[in-house]
Amino acid sequence: MLCKEVEELVTALSDNELAGPERIVVERHLADCPDCRSLYQQQVALKQVIRRAAAEMKAPLELREKILNDRRVFPPRVVTGPEPRPWASVFTRPALALALLVLVLLPVIYLMRPQSPSLALAAIETHDKITRGEVTVIRGDSPEAIKEILVRSVAGEFAPMGYDLSMMNLKPVAGTVQTFDGRRVLVALYQGDGGSLTCYTLVGTERDAPPRAQAFFDADKNMTFYSYSVGRTNAVLHREGGLICILVSAMPMPDLLALARSKAAPSHS
Amino acid sequence: MTHLDHLYRIAYNLAKAPDDAQDLVQETYARALGAYEQFAPGTHLKAWLTRILYNFFVDRHHQGKRWVSVEDSTAQKNEESDPWEKMATENPGPDSHVLRQELSVQITGALGRLPEEFRAPIVLVDMGDFSYVEAAEVLSCPVGTVRSRLFRGRRLLHGYLKEYVGTKEPA
Ligand SMILES: [Zn+2]
Repeated sequence: MLCKEVEELVTALSDNELAGPERIVVERHLADCPDCRSLYQQQVALKQVIRRAAAEMKAPLELREKILNDRRVFPPRVVTGPEPRPWASVFTRPALALALLVLVLLPVIYLMRPQSPSLALAAIETHDKITRGEVTVIRGDSPEAIKEILVRSVAGEFAPMGYDLSMMNLKPVAGTVQTFDGRRVLVALYQGDGGSLTCYTLVGTERDAPPRAQAFFDADKNMTFYSYSVGRTNAVLHREGGLICILVSAMPMPDLLALARSKAAPSHS
Repeated sequence: MTHLDHLYRIAYNLAKAPDDAQDLVQETYARALGAYEQFAPGTHLKAWLTRILYNFFVDRHHQGKRWVSVEDSTAQKNEESDPWEKMATENPGPDSHVLRQELSVQITGALGRLPEEFRAPIVLVDMGDFSYVEAAEVLSCPVGTVRSRLFRGRRLLHGYLKEYVGTKEPA
């Protein structure tokens, strides 16, 4: 049998979807043909890579909240009475309603535990890991090169906030992309005599600021800056249009806040 | 792993845009409860929800047009004239100079470059863990179509992801 005729069956075999005579034919061919054996191994390896990637992808907390707040999914109360109402009848089918309820609620309860990881706090953690060399970053020859890599990694959907921090003796040296709760975050690392600073850009809203962050309203720019810290690491979050920017550094909070304020561009100007 | 994560994964890789994916999943839950009459206890809930999701995705993105017959028009021709093959060679690999990203970012990016008819079966079978029969039900197409699209789709995908799939090319 020709390799060409077997190739598709090799795929099916890697999915364990081959039985009977087809399976025997393919297994016999594989025993004799190194090329098709290699194709088989390749298919298995590809499948594993995709599965591993799938395991990394989790529904964002924001989505769970949306579903929980969707009155079509979870009506505020079950109406009962002489007139059968639509929602009353849903719950006469407890199997589905309960299944959906449990499936959505369990993860939410899990995530609402006090130690629930928030994206804003994860940024601080990532900063610390990057400065300790625990996160692999992509070194770029120029700020433009770093920016280009980051933009491409999110298929051009958005670009990292780029700041000229040369006055602080900081210049962009590397970048990386992280995923938090299924959201992609572009990370640019600035380094220099002024220490190190990481800048996080992601699609988001001001709800991404930690609840206990200190809000500072800049009347001139008509923007709010949220500052928060973990240990000695400080962070300032603000929104520019549909993007959230988080600056993280060990520099003193007043300096970091001043830096964010001086560089931020108001959305409407 | 919950069905919510599963649905989000499928939606995210079908729709390619995070906001669309969230809408798809939210709408799926709403539609599922709206269509509860069609759900018989004992039905495979995951497959049922996925099918609702996929139908909504198709309605929204193609105004009801399904399975543009890319394959049917090219299946008879030889490899070289396959437009999708050509596209794969013309486009360079996915960010080959990016040393390390979240794996899922890479995979989603590579899947996003596949035509939808190849992407959907891979998303269902490899990410959703569906059998060919289940995938064919979700996609409303024959099982043989799922199989051949998986083969062709994975061949393209492997080209995009060579460095992440550490096996050598077959000759
Ligand atoms: Zn062979």
